[in-house]
Amino acid sequence: MDFGYSPEQEALRLEVRAFIAENMNDAVRAEMDSLSEGFGVSPGRHSGGLINDLFKKIGARGWLGISYPKEYGGQGGDRMTQYIVEEEFARDNISLGLGGSGAPAILAAGTEEQKRYFIPKLISGEFSFALGFTEPHAGADLASLQCRAVRDGDEYVINGQKMYTSSAHVSTHIYLMARTNPNLPKHRGISIFLFPMDTPGITVRPLWTIQNDPPAPIGTTYGTPRTNETFFDDVRIPASCMLGRENEGWRVGALGLNLDRVGAARYLISVRRDEDIVNFVKRNKFDGYSPASDPAIRDKIAELWIEAQVCRLMTMRSMSIVEHGGNFTYEGSAEKVWAPEHGVRTTEAISQMLGPYGQLLNGSPHAVERGVYAHNLMGAFQSGINHGSTQVMRDQVARRGLDMPRK
Amino acid sequence: MDTTLSEEEVMVRETARKFLEAECPTKLVREMEKDPKGYPPALWKQAAELGWQGLALPEKYGGSDMPLTYLGLVLEEVGRALAPLPLHSTVVAALAIARDANEELRSAVLPAVVAGDAVLTWAFHEQNPLLLPEAVQCRAVADGNDFVINGTKLFVDNYVAADHCLVVCRTAPASAANAGLSLFVVDTGSAGLSQVPLVTLAKDKMSEVTFQNVRVPQGNLVGALNQGAPIAEQMLEQATALLCAQMLGATRKDAEMAIEWSKFRKAFGQPIGAFQSIQHMCADMLMWIDGGNLLTYEALWKMDQGLPAGVEASQAKAFCNEKCEAAVRICQGIHGGIGFMMEFDLQLWYRRVCAWTMRLGTAYEHRAKVARALLDRPGRVILGRPVPVVADA
Repeated sequence: MDFGYSPEQEALRLEVRAFIAENMNDAVRAEMDSLSEGFGVSPGRHSGGLINDLFKKIGARGWLGISYPKEYGGQGGDRMTQYIVEEEFARDNISLGLGGSGAPAILAAGTEEQKRYFIPKLISGEFSFALGFTEPHAGADLASLQCRAVRDGDEYVINGQKMYTSSAHVSTHIYLMARTNPNLPKHRGISIFLFPMDTPGITVRPLWTIQNDPPAPIGTTYGTPRTNETFFDDVRIPASCMLGRENEGWRVGALGLNLDRVGAARYLISVRRDEDIVNFVKRNKFDGYSPASDPAIRDKIAELWIEAQVCRLMTMRSMSIVEHGGNFTYEGSAEKVWAPEHGVRTTEAISQMLGPYGQLLNGSPHAVERGVYAHNLMGAFQSGINHGSTQVMRDQVARRGLDMPRK
Repeated sequence: MDTTLSEEEVMVRETARKFLEAECPTKLVREMEKDPKGYPPALWKQAAELGWQGLALPEKYGGSDMPLTYLGLVLEEVGRALAPLPLHSTVVAALAIARDANEELRSAVLPAVVAGDAVLTWAFHEQNPLLLPEAVQCRAVADGNDFVINGTKLFVDNYVAADHCLVVCRTAPASAANAGLSLFVVDTGSAGLSQVPLVTLAKDKMSEVTFQNVRVPQGNLVGALNQGAPIAEQMLEQATALLCAQMLGATRKDAEMAIEWSKFRKAFGQPIGAFQSIQHMCADMLMWIDGGNLLTYEALWKMDQGLPAGVEASQAKAFCNEKCEAAVRICQGIHGGIGFMMEFDLQLWYRRVCAWTMRLGTAYEHRAKVARALLDRPGRVILGRPVPVVADA
């Protein structure tokens, strides 16, 4: 056991902070605000000139793709280094992690050619994937998906519909789960395909979220204004677009999802409000009323703070297991229960601390910190739903962690 | 940063587990509930042969000088087996003596502890149950070469088994310079001492101890006169984190028994453990216990590094008090009526874990301490950094 950071890691943290202090100014922040990017900005997914410059500088420091191998455009560093850098940037609404990018699964299951083609450009932000998992009738029970891919010579022909393909309108590629063999048991007839969004036959239609009007301020948990539904009509793609082997997509996808659940992003999405509310109540009084002196609020804040430590330490545990070359049995799922549910508890508690101010949205007079807490209340529960709901995660903890019976 | 156990740490855990599985059946646990001293001296001696009492004590006195995290691993196993050993109270007092007593006193007390020939305890609580300096009213007054102690201490663990008690006394009114507390090692055979046994939920040994003109040699003063508050605070922080380890060990075993039961017990044509309602309760228990473990070992690890760890110890105890209590209650629920029966062993864990959640600070007290650190000092807080962060470097 070692609950500390090495001197090199501490030094790196200070270096990142100094970089942020030097490079984040009001103009950059204003540009970030204008983009309605929810959690924050990431390389490639935005149009701002100042932000592009910022990411170039971050890349020049070697802070993109830190834990990815050098031959694929990464830095060949360890995950803890990546974590430290990600964590510092995430506090300023800059996402450097590659969770949800498709890169973890490509690294784990891709051909040499796929790795060399995709990973460097995913790291730089030149490429980005829309994630084509969910369907109208396949959410938590994802393996029941119906989108079809039928082999035809050297090609596959895709037909079907995907839901909540959140960045499909700005992504260069799609990471698609489709059924290649309807005669096999549902988990075994699925394959994954990687192909460009401009392939003929793809239609993207917007789905507007409850965060769109007024737009959530930057840094909001699930503050994204838009997601999409994506339709595939006789979309023909080369067979070489397949990731992993045919009909093994479920395993490949799980590999990627498991790695997606580890890292600074998942943890910080859910706990940064604890930090924010403590600092807020320390600084602010309302005509003499100090929430920081209210015994009930003090007790609640301490309770939330303690829970946030559990979230942090669960993340450290997942990282430790991966660093030792191990695989999770249930630890990633546990993290995915604790952090989102904690995020919801915090968000709800903050609402009760702020009272009538807590309901004011972005742009309203008297809104607290631009309404971010009210917008969080619209978004926080979402983190307990996507990438595997907390209920499904509890099933996994019980079955994988405790070997409890299915029947 | 590495939260996994090293090979050596695994070995400490496994050795302790095997030993207690062999030597400490629940039959012994039940017998000791009725024993006047509450512990079997032979087992205590065997524990000493394994080096438990001296695990984190200096080599100079026969100890192994190992980190507190190792002691935590052993206490986790003691909790798991509900081993009726006065280990927690002994090591808590011994660690404070090793740190702050004079050489003569250390040499007089610690080798006997390491050898398994002595049991120690400590006394802080009085009528006001809060673990704050102002709650201490028990007086010690200098008189010639002695101090004379008068007062009453409550909730003293294993007093009936103890050879020495480390007592926190008031030697001066609180002032700007100090809280006016001093600690003394008191021989429990001294004239003027009397005890009344308390009957606890855990059915372990706890006493009300009355000091009536009890004379203690000056050399038994631990630390400097009137400067005892920080010594007591550090002792209580260590005691708190170590008790968390013990609680978690017991709670994990309790949860394991409930999970096994749910796989065996059938209702509505299937094992109850196949119902999601039961599975989700079990998943919660596992996550709570794991969470408590992480908080606890972070606190112990920081103590080992000589870093401030009061907030971390309070985080662990506030969390463990509520989550361990909830977990053992769920274990009772999963067992149904049988868990309520005296002859069924589950109750042994339930009663002890519940009792331990009420000792060394409630969830409210510990959260109040965390809140003071977060809210009453200047500077911004940053998650994952020590609290409070006074200057953002």
